[in-house]
Parts: sequence; structure tokens; C-alpha cells
Amino acid sequence: MSRRAAIGILWHAVLIALLLAMFYPIAFALSNSFKSISDAYSSVMELIPSRPTLENYSRVFSRLDVWRITANTLFIALVASVFKVLTSILAAYAFTEFSFPGRGVLYFVMISTIFIPFNVTMLPNYLSITSLGLNDTLVGVALPQLCDATGIFLIRQSMRTIPRSILEAARMENRSSLGMLTDIVVPLTRPAILSSAIIFFINSWNEYVWPVLMLKSKENFTLSLALQMYISSEGGTEFTVAMAVSVLAMLVPFGLYVMFQKFIVSTFTSSGVKG
Amino acid sequence: MKNMNVKAFLMLLPSLSVFGAFMFWPLARTFYISFFEWNMVSPVKKFVGLGNYAALLGSPLVHRVLGNTAAYALILLAVNFVVPYVLAFVLSQVVKRGRALYKGAFFLPSVISLVVGSMIYTWILNPISGPVAIAAQRLGLSAPIWSKTEGAVIVVLSLVTSWKIFGYNFIVILGGVSGVSSEVIEAARVDNVPLWRIFTDIVLPMSSATGVYLFVMTVVQGMQFLFTPIRVLTMGGPNYASSNLVYHSYHEMFVVYRTGTGSALAVITLLGFAFLLFLEFRFVEGRVYYES
Repeated sequence: MSRRAAIGILWHAVLIALLLAMFYPIAFALSNSFKSISDAYSSVMELIPSRPTLENYSRVFSRLDVWRITANTLFIALVASVFKVLTSILAAYAFTEFSFPGRGVLYFVMISTIFIPFNVTMLPNYLSITSLGLNDTLVGVALPQLCDATGIFLIRQSMRTIPRSILEAARMENRSSLGMLTDIVVPLTRPAILSSAIIFFINSWNEYVWPVLMLKSKENFTLSLALQMYISSEGGTEFTVAMAVSVLAMLVPFGLYVMFQKFIVSTFTSSGVKG
Repeated sequence: MKNMNVKAFLMLLPSLSVFGAFMFWPLARTFYISFFEWNMVSPVKKFVGLGNYAALLGSPLVHRVLGNTAAYALILLAVNFVVPYVLAFVLSQVVKRGRALYKGAFFLPSVISLVVGSMIYTWILNPISGPVAIAAQRLGLSAPIWSKTEGAVIVVLSLVTSWKIFGYNFIVILGGVSGVSSEVIEAARVDNVPLWRIFTDIVLPMSSATGVYLFVMTVVQGMQFLFTPIRVLTMGGPNYASSNLVYHSYHEMFVVYRTGTGSALAVITLLGFAFLLFLEFRFVEGRVYYES
């Protein structure tokens, strides 16, 4: 028994050490964003700033149009996540509620888009968006991201757990398919819908690849692109300001995750195989 | 019945049109462009047949990129597949306390942008003023300038990417491992089967559906996630030592404007992923898909 307990403590130590290592970068960014540049260089190891200052944040706000950049990021993230959730609910419902010829194949084809790497689609999408005259616009960034196979999968998995008797009863009442969807199916699958929405929002908020191809002018920049101006492999010169920008970019995903943590984690845990 | 088909079709129409316009049509177009020589702006595309593919397969540079891609895959799998698998087993069988807490905390870095991750890690690993360099100095060691050192550059970029992948993989595999029947494990424990044998003989095979899925996704997602740290930190350098297949096709298309070879590289990436998808179906079929 005591040997078992000792092994347990040892593993806890390993897990906690790993957690600390994973949290260190966050603590590092946070603490250095509140140091003056000279303090940061002389005491980079200190996790609690001895003379905390807000000068880095005020510098960020005076130099970057933070509100505009945030609004751009928010616009793309909202459009993408709202559309992804709507298209996913409809498709998931079609696959759950109706049986039609080719259903299995079509489902497989749609889900397999998860395996299409973005380098396969980015050049033609770049050309299409350009020929629509939407190059360097927020709409051009959002347009190819209005649907997502992960959402179809997660929401369908959840819809399949609805007891048949509930659906049968609703059918007896002669409800329309759409009525059943909005009144019965959607309320019963809320956790999966909500966590898909949050994940889509966070992913789009953090998105880098496609916006960097699309957006050229600074007034259209998203957070990721603004951040990039402070990076080079040697680190650039404005260490503490860069940390402040990082902290600002982390805030929204962080807050959302803390608020909806339970939903998100349980959706991924119980989704069985896919995520 | 007809009516039902129409309804189903109408509900699928939005997703089908988005996938059609921005997934399948571009896929076909990339495939088409891979048979041409084209600089993206010129009105003429020159047909070269399989020329781009032949040129790629014979190029030492591409061999190098393929080698890097394999090295990335191995590191990402070790860190984000093997380690979480073992830890998930430990958390479900050895230490049971604090499971929800560990799950929630490990996932947290997964919601942070890779650009932010890249930025923070460059400063932590800064060879002059970063905490790692200073700690190494105190121990009398010197940290290499990782961004200029072949090999080290792959390790560091994998580390940045793992910070994003690890937590997600951990909760998914924990879900799979926790799904293994506890009666079977209890029976084995009563028979005094050592824990590591319980892991290799019972848990691994019984959670293999999730395991295979995660193995495949780690490579598929990992290769794409790597693009961001490569693009913002090294641009594939030094001397292509950190480029992978996905980044290199971008480089061909959008940096040197050889869209034909870039597209051929993209097709090769897709074939690699399709092979992984095929593997997944071979192994996972019957365990997961039959129930649907």
C-alpha cells in the first residue's frame, strides 16, 4: 500500500512538473509585459516584477490601432463561427434525420475534408478571392471559412444520442422537420453546438495562414498579423512591448476557455474518436 | 419519400456549396496546375505533364524537405502521442485524484495562437538574454543560436507546435483510455498482472480506435500547424533546414512563384495524408464506423 502511495506521489510530481513547464511561457509573457525594458533585461528570470509598470501597454495602444485590429479580428471570427455552426447544424441534422441514397458516401466525403491540407486549397482560393475583387478585405478572409467538417461531426455525434422515442413523439404531432430541429434537436444538443462555436471562434481568432495571404493593408490587419510585426527569430528589440501584445492577443481565447472549459473538455472527451 | 430527399438536399446545400467552392474545386485546380509551369501572373501556362513531379523527386532540396518532414513527424509523435498516451493511462489507473484539474489545465495552451507561442518561445530561447541561455550560463554551458543551427531548429519549432497540440491530444486520448472496461482491468489487477503489461496488453489494444485516430491527426494537424512557427520565425531556414512539405509548397507558390512545383508538392502532401486516412480506416473500421 505504501509503495503504491509513493508511486502515486511520484507521478503527481511528474504531472505537476509538466504543468509548470507548460504554464511557464504564459507566466513569462505576463510578468515581462509589466516590466520596464531595462528591468526586463536585468531580471528576466523574475516572475513577479519588482517595479511593475503599464508603460508597455500604453506604448502598444499609442502605436497600434488596437481597437481597429481587435474589431477586424472579431468580425472575421464572428462571421466564420456563426456560419460554421449554422451550416454544421443543418448538415448534421440532414445526416441524422433523413436517409437518402448516397448518405454514407456523402458523409464520408464531407468528413474527409478534415484531411485536406491547406496548401492544397490556398493557391486556387487566393486566385478565386482575387478574381472576386475581395483580395485584402475582411470578407475575403471569412468567405472560404463558412463551413467545417469538425462541426458536422461533433454535432451529428451529439444528435445521434437523442432518444428515438422523443423524435417519434414529435413526429406523431406532425411537426415539420425544421420545427423539430429548432424546437427539439437544437436545445438537446446545445453543449455540442456551444463548444463547436467556441472552438471555431477561438481558432478563427488565432488564425494566421489565410489572413497573411489575404490582407496587405495595415488597416485590415488582424491580431495575428499585428503581432507578427514584433517577431523575428532573434526576437527584435522591443521585448517588453512584444510581451504586452502577446498578452492582449491571449486575453479573449483565455477568457472564453475559462468560461466554457467544462463544455469544451467534455465534448472532446466524449466525442469518442474525432475532434 | 421524394419530399424527404429534397429536404435533406436543401439542408446540405449550404455546406456542400462552401465545400464545393473552397475545398473540392480548388483541390481539382491545384491538381491541374501541378501539370503546368506558371508564375501566377502570366496569361500563359506551359504544359509540362509530369515534369514538375519528376523535377521534385530528383531534387536534393526536396529530399531534404522530406527528411525534415519525417523528423518533425517523429518528434511530434513522441511528444504528443506517446507521452499523452502514457500519462492518460497513469491518470486513469495509477493516480486518480485531480483528473479534471489536470485535464482542464493541460488543455489551456491549446487555445493560444501559434503566433503568440512563437513570439514567447523566441524570447525564452533568446541566445543572449533569454532565461534558458542565462540558466545555461550559470551552469557553465552555452546555449546554441538555435535558429542558425541545423537540427536544433527542428527541435525548437516542434516544441512550439507541441505546446499547441499536447493538451488537445491529452484529453482526447484520456477519453479513449477511460473508455476501456474497468472490469477487465480490475480482473487483471486481481491476478497481479504488472501495470505496464496492463497498459501494453489491455489498454493499448482496447483504445486503439482513438489511438490510431490520434496518431493520424497528430501528423496531419502537426504538419499544418508547423507552418506558422516556420513562417514567422525561420522562413524555412537556415538553408531549408527547417522547411517541411507544407511550408515548402507555400514557398514555391507564393515566394518564388513557381506555382506548378508548389502545386505538385501540395498534391504529394495530400497523397501522404490520404494514405494516413486509408490506414485509419483499415485499423479503425469495425470498431467505430460500424456503429454509425
